[in-house]
Amino acid sequence: MKEKTALCLFAAVSFVIPAIFIVILVHVIYQTIPAATGLGMLLFDTSGVWRPLGQTPSFSILPVISATMYVAFLAVAIAAPIGGMAAIFLNYYAGRRLTKLVLAFVDLLAGVPSVIYGFIGLVVVVRNLERIFNMSAGESILAAALVLSVMLLPYIISTYSESIEKAKNKYDTASRALGVSAEYSVLKVIIPITKRGAAAAVISAFGRASSETIAVMMVIGNAPIFPRLLGRGQTISGLTALEIGSAEIGSVHASAIYAANLMLMLTLSVILLITYFLRRKLLSEYDKI
Amino acid sequence: MKRNVKKISVILCAVAMAAVIAGCAGQTQSGAPATTPPPMVTTEAPQEIVVENPTIEATQILFDGSSTLAPVIATIAAELEEQSAQPIEVYVSSGGSGQGISAIINQTANFGMLARDLRESEREQIPYLQEYLIGIDALTVAINPENPLAAMREGLTTEEIVRIFSGQYATWQDFDPALPDEEIVVVVRDIGGGAHEVFQTNIMGDVDVRADAIQAPSMGALINRVIENRNAIGYASFGVSYQNQQYLAFMEVDGVAPNVENILNGTYIIQRPLILISSGQPSEAEQYFLDAIFGDMGQGIIEEIGFIPMS
Repeated sequence: MKEKTALCLFAAVSFVIPAIFIVILVHVIYQTIPAATGLGMLLFDTSGVWRPLGQTPSFSILPVISATMYVAFLAVAIAAPIGGMAAIFLNYYAGRRLTKLVLAFVDLLAGVPSVIYGFIGLVVVVRNLERIFNMSAGESILAAALVLSVMLLPYIISTYSESIEKAKNKYDTASRALGVSAEYSVLKVIIPITKRGAAAAVISAFGRASSETIAVMMVIGNAPIFPRLLGRGQTISGLTALEIGSAEIGSVHASAIYAANLMLMLTLSVILLITYFLRRKLLSEYDKI
Repeated sequence: MKRNVKKISVILCAVAMAAVIAGCAGQTQSGAPATTPPPMVTTEAPQEIVVENPTIEATQILFDGSSTLAPVIATIAAELEEQSAQPIEVYVSSGGSGQGISAIINQTANFGMLARDLRESEREQIPYLQEYLIGIDALTVAINPENPLAAMREGLTTEEIVRIFSGQYATWQDFDPALPDEEIVVVVRDIGGGAHEVFQTNIMGDVDVRADAIQAPSMGALINRVIENRNAIGYASFGVSYQNQQYLAFMEVDGVAPNVENILNGTYIIQRPLILISSGQPSEAEQYFLDAIFGDMGQGIIEEIGFIPMS
């Protein structure tokens, strides 16, 4: 009897997690209904703007979706080469002690609260962009992408390091036996063999980038307009954090915010699926000889 | 193939387990009942006179709503706890005026904190609505003291403010040829929020704020941008403004200076009420707390935090 109770408990807690996800998803979909029925494709009106409380209300979520994607792409584009090079250096060239030390700092970097990144972004990145580009206000897509790229480094370095380490364990002895240089084995063996691992690292970083809220909000200017590199913009999560508290419950306004988040959740789910399959493929690839 | 079979059997096992839980737990505790989303609008007919919310213990008072009012209530509660022997537990959570209203509609709090008037559609959703005006928040129009405008003009007219905030004047030079040819950086709070609504109704009217205005996530952030950027113009709440008055230049509005006297007599137009709402008559504990808010101590704290008290 005791075992049975314990088993029930264990099973119950394991099912809580999928249940929570389903509750959230159903809630978001349900809340999207008024916007979907009331606005339909107007939600994605390319000439529309986000002006929920204006004299002529307009609820296009396209500007925030495109700004979210723009910022995330740009941040990943900045962080991926840096993180990739760091991961290769740490696993192939640096001494074990140095690697350990640097990786410890990478973990620390991941533990810094995002509001701190936002604050540093505001006083360092935004101000310097104002100076360098002679902008009247430095809040911009570029500022957000720069701040985000630093936040992504730990993800990229640790995920990519993992695949390099696996590849190295497998092929390092062979490379050494053949007498090729470290450069040769990095360029001809490690990089080609870990390209799926690199893709997984980049994609999961993209997921992280597109859902970051506060750090981006502090430096992007939060103007729901179509994004330009040195112009202001607003991300989906930023829009939500700013407006969901004051949007009238059950209104089209609140519902349209949910619609934007549904799009984000769908995008992230697709990203997670891709990462999952890449990783699975990756693991089976290492099993082959 | 074999692995797939194994996987399927694991899944089947899991499903079976779920059934077992449902059986042995007596009541289902899986996700099924929770998937029904919470009602968005409570349209149930009100019961007889609701004296107090039965789901909340009498000595516990829950506040939810405007982040502008949250520190006020929290401070008054802390002060009251020190002063009196009456055991009242006050819990304050904040997430905007809208959340304060939904908390009253969904009966998850005793009082909703609002930094704006109720909309008619919201009023209809709350049975036996009680409103308590506990103070006034006013917004100042502030610019950076380094902006030459600060030395040139004492204030702006409503029409000028509208033109600046709507983007009709793109640069300061457009506004006055003597000013530098630099973009006017308009900083506002979130367009959907209570503070902006005050500004929109009292100043902008039908005109929208320029689409590329910077929306600051908090009053502190807004003030910070104006202090740091000499091209910036923004509005800030009275309290925060005066805490930072040495770093800012305030503009009169239509010749009326933003001071307590002008705000209370209504000649200074950019202001909003701070309101507590509840449903039904207050319980004994709630009344006790309301008395404290309207007493010397409560009103003193409202003033200390930077708002204009009612007495």
